[in-house]
Amino acid sequence: MKSLIVICVLMHLAFCKTNTDAIDKNIVNAKIERKIDISSHLVKTSTSVTLENKGTSSVRSFLFSIEPLLKNSIAYVGATSKDDKEKLDVSPTTVSGHSDKTFYRVTLRSALDAGKTTIVDVEAIFSHVLRPYPSEIAQAEKQLVVLEANLYFYSPYPTTSQTTTVITTSSNVESYTKTKPVSQSDTSIIYGPYEDKAAFSEAPLKVHEENNSPFLTVTSMERVVEVSHWGNIAVEEHIDMTHTGASLKGSFSRFDYQRQQDGMASIKTFKTSLPASARDVYYRDEIGNISTSHMREMDESVEVELRPRFPLFGGWKTRYFLGYNVPSYEYLFFKDDHYALKLRFIDHIYDDMVVDKMQLRIILPEGVKNIELKIPFDVKRQGDQVHYTYLDTLGRPVVVLNKNNLVEQHIQDFELHYTFQRLLLLQEPLLVVGAFYLLFLVVIIYVRLDFAITKDEAKESRMRVAGFIDEVQNAHDRRSALYQSYDDAINKFKSNKDAAAFSAGRKKIDADYKQLTQQIQNIQAQLKAEGAEASEKVAELQRLDSLYKEQIGLAIMSAEKLVSGKMGRQQYLDAEAATSSKCDDTYKKMESLRSTL
Amino acid sequence: MRKSQGTWGLQWLLRMSTEKQDTLLKMVILSVAAILAFSTRLFSVLRFESVIHEFDPYFNYRTTRFLAEEGFYNFHNWFDDRAWYPLGRIIGGTIYPGLMVTSAFIYHVMNYFHLTIDVRNVCVFLAPLFSSFTTLVTFYFTRELKDASAGLVAAAMLSIVPGYISRSVAGSYDNEGIAIFCMLLTYTLWIKAVKTGSIFWGSLCALAYFYMVSSWGGYVFLINLIPLHVLMLMFTGRFSHRIYVAYSTVYCLGTILSMQISFVGFQPVQSSEHMAALGVFGLCQIHAFVDYLRSKMSSDHFNILFRSLVLLVGSIAFGAAAVATALGKIAPWTGRFYSLLDPSYAKNNIPIIASVSEHQPTTWSSFYFDLQLLMFLFPVGLYYCFQKLTDANIFIIMYGVTSIYFAGVMVRLMLVLAPVMCVLGGIGMSAVLTTYMKNLDNPLKKEKKAAKKIESNYPLKNEIATCVVIMMTAFLMFYTYHCTWVTSEAYSSPSIVLSARGGDGSRIIFDDFREAYYWLRHNTPEDAKVMSWWDYGYQITAMANRTILVDNNTWNKWMYSAMASPEEKAYEIMRELDVGYVLVIFGGLTGYSSDDINKFLWMVRIGGSTDRGSHIKEWDYYTPQGEFRVDKEGSPTLLNCLMYKMCYYRFGSVYTEGGKPTGYDRVRNTEIGNKDFELDVLEEAYTTEHWLVRIYKVKDLDNRGA
Repeated sequence: MKSLIVICVLMHLAFCKTNTDAIDKNIVNAKIERKIDISSHLVKTSTSVTLENKGTSSVRSFLFSIEPLLKNSIAYVGATSKDDKEKLDVSPTTVSGHSDKTFYRVTLRSALDAGKTTIVDVEAIFSHVLRPYPSEIAQAEKQLVVLEANLYFYSPYPTTSQTTTVITTSSNVESYTKTKPVSQSDTSIIYGPYEDKAAFSEAPLKVHEENNSPFLTVTSMERVVEVSHWGNIAVEEHIDMTHTGASLKGSFSRFDYQRQQDGMASIKTFKTSLPASARDVYYRDEIGNISTSHMREMDESVEVELRPRFPLFGGWKTRYFLGYNVPSYEYLFFKDDHYALKLRFIDHIYDDMVVDKMQLRIILPEGVKNIELKIPFDVKRQGDQVHYTYLDTLGRPVVVLNKNNLVEQHIQDFELHYTFQRLLLLQEPLLVVGAFYLLFLVVIIYVRLDFAITKDEAKESRMRVAGFIDEVQNAHDRRSALYQSYDDAINKFKSNKDAAAFSAGRKKIDADYKQLTQQIQNIQAQLKAEGAEASEKVAELQRLDSLYKEQIGLAIMSAEKLVSGKMGRQQYLDAEAATSSKCDDTYKKMESLRSTL
Repeated sequence: MRKSQGTWGLQWLLRMSTEKQDTLLKMVILSVAAILAFSTRLFSVLRFESVIHEFDPYFNYRTTRFLAEEGFYNFHNWFDDRAWYPLGRIIGGTIYPGLMVTSAFIYHVMNYFHLTIDVRNVCVFLAPLFSSFTTLVTFYFTRELKDASAGLVAAAMLSIVPGYISRSVAGSYDNEGIAIFCMLLTYTLWIKAVKTGSIFWGSLCALAYFYMVSSWGGYVFLINLIPLHVLMLMFTGRFSHRIYVAYSTVYCLGTILSMQISFVGFQPVQSSEHMAALGVFGLCQIHAFVDYLRSKMSSDHFNILFRSLVLLVGSIAFGAAAVATALGKIAPWTGRFYSLLDPSYAKNNIPIIASVSEHQPTTWSSFYFDLQLLMFLFPVGLYYCFQKLTDANIFIIMYGVTSIYFAGVMVRLMLVLAPVMCVLGGIGMSAVLTTYMKNLDNPLKKEKKAAKKIESNYPLKNEIATCVVIMMTAFLMFYTYHCTWVTSEAYSSPSIVLSARGGDGSRIIFDDFREAYYWLRHNTPEDAKVMSWWDYGYQITAMANRTILVDNNTWNKWMYSAMASPEEKAYEIMRELDVGYVLVIFGGLTGYSSDDINKFLWMVRIGGSTDRGSHIKEWDYYTPQGEFRVDKEGSPTLLNCLMYKMCYYRFGSVYTEGGKPTGYDRVRNTEIGNKDFELDVLEEAYTTEHWLVRIYKVKDLDNRGA
């Protein structure tokens, strides 16, 4: 673990813009109030620094240094000015002649004039500082930890007056350094005030206390963000976890665990907050779903209570995947072809979380160009990769970012700017459409064309017959439509009594009718040539048709007689009833014959 | 037109030619059946999750993943040191690779087209997919035997028959899932080859047979059934050139191809199970030769020659077989094969085979449970086959009769019976319906025939036909209900996740197995060896990624004697085998009845049957009255053996049920006999939430002088 942190710090240094600063002899720490909080598994120090400029020129920034004991464990440094609670710019730096120490430069909001003082709150978070001692405990035992740090504020400047408060988990403190003046109250040990200490002064501070808070560490995690321009962002986190507290000695007894509710140092569940818009949350691992989890939707977040498959005792490990979807409109912004993704670099995993190693992979849609990253802290960016998934042709660009030693304070947004042609959105649907089109085309071609090398006479004849029958049916349908036209013409004639118009209309219909009848006749001849039994049916159809035509002829005749007055009204009605009933009968027969062709 | 008849849709359908209507209907029915076959198998995925079931599938899944990641050659040469400790297992040479190759192939094709589906999902959905294919093949098979309508009925029935579903639900990733498809494909092509007598179909059949051999050990059934069919055709005088060509092609090609599978090796020419095929092949040659001679000679000469030939060939063949068996060239008859012929064989002789519930004889109720209506349609189908005997029908009769015998012997062979039941049931149902549907009065034809008199020799023709059709429809509906119910209630639990109904009706999930496996995976040394009852072997290797001593393909038997021994004796054996952890399944707290105490007698028998475990006598574990009990009356040997102690360690102080004393075992419904004891050589490493799985760590030897 130590070496890993060393490497991470080295990388950290290597990839930062390495500033160099000098120690300003004119700055003095007039008053230091330092709090070291060891009530969780992190060490959180917050220091209120009262700076005094004793020089003649104004000062724009000052240096904050990390004590040698803790410099490999530093996870986060942040500063705010006391007056307006505004965040100050903090960046790592080096000082010539002090290459073995770690420095941060805190830039003040306004220059500190000569003789003036200002107060700055500096917050620093350290991970893996508290050492379990004893390092192995039995299931029922309590967990004790040791803090080893510097009694004095470690500063490149002389300090006039300082106090240090150590906040412990409980009043149960085994032992602590008793450098006077010191006093212990309920959950705090107050050291100081100590007067006039030189720059970089050191003295041991050791506190041995009971601490049963969850020593849960994410040893490595991978966060995958997959952006879709169709409105969704999928997030998946692969998390490896270890209980880094005192490891379990001897056996684990389920009986004791269930009955006596001991195992105080073990971790049964923890809560993860997801964005309020998170949907389709899943919690699984390499071997399937983990069925023990609860989800609660709240106004500002979705809270997931995760329970690992087994309680985590000291030294026990587990691994799980947590994934969810969020709508893209909350995180993805665009103007024309320019897009910006604004999302958290890391999200909440559990309270007071520690992540030793993290990789963020952002999978962007296909065709994204000109990727630019803006991020509030230093990360190591690997070369972009390519990821293939559903319907990809060229692959999606993947931005890979690495960072080590993260804590809750790193839950900050990053921004990713890129350009994307919106027309490319259609590429994948078109691909599917094209593929299906091609498939159907091939099937159509395969079905229509004959690929046989031998000729199957019977089959071909059958197919020709089917074609003829189709034609007959079509022709017959049109002919049936003509019957209706005859009827219409007769009715019209009866009402307007225009013999000339009638005979003209009749001639036209007659011509059409003849043509159709002739056509069917021809086909019947061809069918006969094929030797199909359908030809007889067609002949029968023709016979019925001529019967029908006859009736129509009769109807026309009686209509003409009626108009010319050669026939009485009643007589005509009788004749019409007779013809129409015959017509109906024949028509039915024809229809049934047609459908059985 | 004068009048428009019917709605547009119906008209459109009626206006198509009957051929087109026929094709359309067939395609619609078949695709609905195929989709149904797929979707009815998804109960467990929807109810639980997309997870592999049972025990064997975990091994298949693990090997598939290896194949997909490492490629075929590495797979072929894979020496697995995670199994069968301390020997290790040569995976490539001890499995049928067809299943893994199929899934890896699908996986690679999908991924080539960038359909990024992972191996697990391919494995989970493979069996339902192949069930859909089986449905289609059943249609073609039955069509070859009878006609298309029988094919449709058979396909629809097969798509939901529980006997097949039991082995092919989503997640049940086992050889049988694809083997049934291969088997029916081989049969279809065989029938095609017999009908056409063409080398083309014969070669295709051999290829299908090769696929079958590569995927399931049950191919032995197939290579005995086809020769039996040929033999039967010879007896009935139906032997012809078509059959000669078909069988010679299939046998020669098929045997050579099957020998390419390294697990099969030289068995097709050496083991007695394959001798029938070889013998029939020889008979074919002789029969063809004799036919040739007969056509060239006078009948007197021929008779003399025939008799002498029969005597000579018969005695030589018998002598050769006897010599080969004596020299051990023909593999001895294996236990599984004997148990097929004689159900009591395995129980009496090989405890490890008898301990598998799948190898027990089938009960009557499970026939009905798995086949329902088909039980009654089977004879109907047989009747219609006998009514019109053809070469193909003889095949399906042989298949039906033999498989119903085998299914009666072994529960798991129900799987082989289910398809033929569907085929014959389909033939029966379709024949009955076709017969009676004709007798229905057709409302369209009524006008014409109204004048005709009802035939006097068949009164109430229409009414009887209506009754029969309604009855058959009702039967089919009940069949559908039954199948769906069985699938959802009996065959859709993954067995890795257990579920129970709580007092308030809510569902309680016991996920203890995965809890324990996952604990092993992350919190034990990478090279730890885990000892357990063999059922859990494959799951431990796949999910916990730890080395195991035995798995479902058992080799190491004497480790069971450790479980049955007292602590000191067990410690010796465990140290010798380098056991790091021991895993037991204990249902006493939850009432899970298939736990290790209930399986314990098998361990005693298996352990006692080895020479290392000769100190174990089964009778020591019974009370003088011959009962197996864990309470105070139980035998002291049992109450002090390792298995008892591991299961009941500290259980003596637990209250399990109100009104009952502590240490009340809810499976055996007794208060345990030996409550207060400590473990000397083991320590409790992990126990799951519901105490279902308990893991113990074997302590190291004491420091010298400590």
